[in-house]
Amino acid sequence: MFTFLLTDIFFYLIIFSLCIYINYVRKTPDIKQTWSHVFKNKTGIISSVVLSFFMLTALLDSIHIKDKLYNENTDQYIYTSEIKSLLDIIILPIHKNSEKSYSAPFSSHLYSKETIKINNKDKRIYPKLLHKGNHNKFSEKNSYNIFLTTLFSFLKTIFIIFLIYVFIFYKKIFKTKDFFYSAKLNKIFLGSLFSMIFVIMLFYDLGSQYYVLGTDKVGEDVLYKSIKSIRTGILIGTLTTIVMLPFAIFLGIFAGYIGGFVDDIIQYIYTTLNSIPSVLLIASAILMLQVYMTNNPLEFENIYERADLRLFFLCMILGLTSWTGLCRLLRGESMKLREVEYVQASQTFGLSKFSIIVRHIIPNIMHIVIITVVLDFSALVLAEAVLSYVNIGVDPTTYSWGNMINAARLEMSREPIVWWSLFSAFLFMFMLVLFANLFSDVVRDAFDPRANKNYE
Amino acid sequence: MNDLLQVKNLCLNIRSHAEEEILKDISFTIKESEVVSLIGESGSGKSLTALSIIRLLEASCKISNGEVIFADKNIFNLKEKEMREIRKKDISMIFQEPMRSLNPVMSIREQLREAYINYKDVNLEHEIIKNLISVGINDAKRVINLYPHQLSGGMKQRVMIAMAIACKPKLLIADEPTTSLDVTIQKQVLDLLIELKEKLNMAILFITHDLAVASQISDRIVVMKNGKVIENCESKLFFQNPKELYSKSLLVSSKYNRKLITNIDNNDEDVLNISNLKVYFKEKNKFLDREKSYIKAVDDISFLIKPSSTHAIVGESGSGKTTIAKAIMGLTQVTSGNIKILNKDILKMTNFEKRDFRKHYQMVFQDPFSSLNPRMRVGAIIKEGLCFLKPELSNTDTNKILYDVIKNVGLSKDSLNKYPHQFSGGQRQRIAIARVLVLEPKLLVCDEPTSSLDVTVQKQVLDLLIDIQERTKISYLFISHDIKLISNISDTISVMYKGKMVESGSTFDIINKTKNEYTKKLLKSVPQIKI
Repeated sequence: MFTFLLTDIFFYLIIFSLCIYINYVRKTPDIKQTWSHVFKNKTGIISSVVLSFFMLTALLDSIHIKDKLYNENTDQYIYTSEIKSLLDIIILPIHKNSEKSYSAPFSSHLYSKETIKINNKDKRIYPKLLHKGNHNKFSEKNSYNIFLTTLFSFLKTIFIIFLIYVFIFYKKIFKTKDFFYSAKLNKIFLGSLFSMIFVIMLFYDLGSQYYVLGTDKVGEDVLYKSIKSIRTGILIGTLTTIVMLPFAIFLGIFAGYIGGFVDDIIQYIYTTLNSIPSVLLIASAILMLQVYMTNNPLEFENIYERADLRLFFLCMILGLTSWTGLCRLLRGESMKLREVEYVQASQTFGLSKFSIIVRHIIPNIMHIVIITVVLDFSALVLAEAVLSYVNIGVDPTTYSWGNMINAARLEMSREPIVWWSLFSAFLFMFMLVLFANLFSDVVRDAFDPRANKNYE
Repeated sequence: MNDLLQVKNLCLNIRSHAEEEILKDISFTIKESEVVSLIGESGSGKSLTALSIIRLLEASCKISNGEVIFADKNIFNLKEKEMREIRKKDISMIFQEPMRSLNPVMSIREQLREAYINYKDVNLEHEIIKNLISVGINDAKRVINLYPHQLSGGMKQRVMIAMAIACKPKLLIADEPTTSLDVTIQKQVLDLLIELKEKLNMAILFITHDLAVASQISDRIVVMKNGKVIENCESKLFFQNPKELYSKSLLVSSKYNRKLITNIDNNDEDVLNISNLKVYFKEKNKFLDREKSYIKAVDDISFLIKPSSTHAIVGESGSGKTTIAKAIMGLTQVTSGNIKILNKDILKMTNFEKRDFRKHYQMVFQDPFSSLNPRMRVGAIIKEGLCFLKPELSNTDTNKILYDVIKNVGLSKDSLNKYPHQFSGGQRQRIAIARVLVLEPKLLVCDEPTSSLDVTVQKQVLDLLIDIQERTKISYLFISHDIKLISNISDTISVMYKGKMVESGSTFDIINKTKNEYTKKLLKSVPQIKI
């Protein structure tokens, strides 16, 4: 049975409004042409392919399912309290089993020695891993096996790409002068699609035989943790932004454009909010939530719901504390724009304040919004890590890069150090933030009529 | 006389577009204590030539050929350290914007001190004061303690000149030093430059787009167009008989053929009738300070405009002319007075009535670069007012009107799909005019519509406005600082000074028979071409 967590619903809403926007763009020739600049650009195509895979992962991870169990005593089907996502089911071979403790990437033994009885003698050895690393599919030799697996996933990827090519390009769905303007861009699209699918295939095939990124303290696969963290990262990035944007944009523009009394009030609000340390606000909000949850334990069916509520609350409170910076920027910019002659020209046409804001001010501050949002996105993912450090971030049971980085504090200080947790969190976060940056850069250029658009 | 500076076959290109030369084979010489004017429109390469002489080009520019010889030294072969010596002692430069060329956080004393070779000398104070007095700042002892924002534009430019002549340079490069100044101050600065030249025996390379200014000061004229030197001859010969066609077109572009209206029918209702208009701005009060003080931007102004005639308001910057335009358009709050358009008082109208009425009076703004939204296509820009003020029009009607108007202002049909940045200044101003013309207004307020344009383009835009007036019988309220230009195109003139109307009457009376001291001074300051 499908179950819906609170953040799931919001994530669906985000995807849904994204679809509505895409549909709107397809129907409006002007905006369609502007967006087509994004897909005429090499960076634009590659980053949108990578980002859509990130989004797809997050979406798959947001479809939650409860298992049905047959209870023989009562002769009824009951639902387990455990909630799985679609993603969990797809990558089951990766996280099915876990080890005892740390093991290095591609290792066949644990990372630390243990005392084991062999022939009634206590010996200090590195014990073999139970589930992965010792069950090679193709060959006993590790390097040879990895090579063969890679080759095999390579072939599989070629097959998938071939299918995509046959079904999409051969049918000329895309070729009707819609998005991809030349054969070169088609190649770039197919190339980036190929590399993404290949990486995923490789992770999947190798991940079911080895711990590709090692295991953590309780023997859980770090690769699995990193993949599960994608949803948390994207949620914190997008949901917080969506909470924050209306405040920042509308209050900023009202303060700057209308000025006077309204400006004073809005300035006082954000100065006050800014002068309270945001960690204090977040801590108090999260602690209040915790008190509420301990007082009303019956409202929550399981730990997943509690963790999810905490994540949702964190997004809200982060959004409420982080709009002030952007708001101030936008206030200044709209104050500048208010005096610009094209705004005055529309005033002489008698346009209302609202339509001037929509038609003239918002398009001309959008570049600031895009830049700030993308920079904030990475800052928010990092903020989550910082908050986890003082134990007010996401729930410890939630997979998140912040929690991984937080755990790495101890891992980095032990000898020999465990580097792979931090490395994986860094790798995934880096990819997401990098491609989000690249993508927004291209989008900003596309929407700036003055930018040079001769990419070819 | 010896040659002080020789520019020989100077070629320059931008690194990213190496095949395209921006300066092509520039050659001219400046003799000792000679004033050479470099004349051309914007984009003709005047400033780049000047910057290559003192080697202050941007990194993206590259000199591909030629040499500049200053006092027998090839400037391009000098080391940066030697070049700095030359910039310090021998060649100085004055820039166009005095507001931006002075550091706002340094006092005048500190800025001037930097200009001296022995800037660490404690006894420099005396020298600085002497220098400031020599550029006509008489209360120099007070001024050296001030900061740039406390000085007027003319004063700032004087400080800039004082800095430039601090080390008694052999060559002074002046890059449009008077363009952003009022005519009366422009005249003072020009006189000062001529006086200093005699006193210090220095040569001046004077860059300008204004032929009249050039004729006042220069011994030799160099005309540039599209990075080439077109004409190079002595000043007197040039203004008597320019050889090249382009130079001729520059000279005639300040002449307009417009018939003045002689038979104004007094029975017609006035298009615009302003009586006792006052616009006061409240000065920002200090906390708990009850007494209110006002800046009287417009103080008791009255005038009227007859149908299909042109009325002009002339005055220096800060005299309140733009405030009148804004008051008419409802962009600023009016303190008291009446503004009647077509016999209806717009100040008493409700917003709803005003909405229908707005199409009768519209405005063209000064700067075509900021009056068009850079993120909207030209078609959408022109359509904006139309859709809002005439919502009854169908889509096909609107499109037809768009095609007509874009043809009327002399642009092609496909410009409707372009963005403003793809047009030049003159074309942008045409778009701005098209935007208001579609509404078929009876009154058009033009706030310095040509002051940011080149002379030849200025002529085209004004010719267009005159042409439109002949066709549509529209009335203009023309706001300008340029009394010479105004006298060519308007029927009646009001002269403003510090918010008050000094004089008002028909153009002929004001230009030829004025008795007012300020108007006389204004007329005298207008640079005339000396022949």
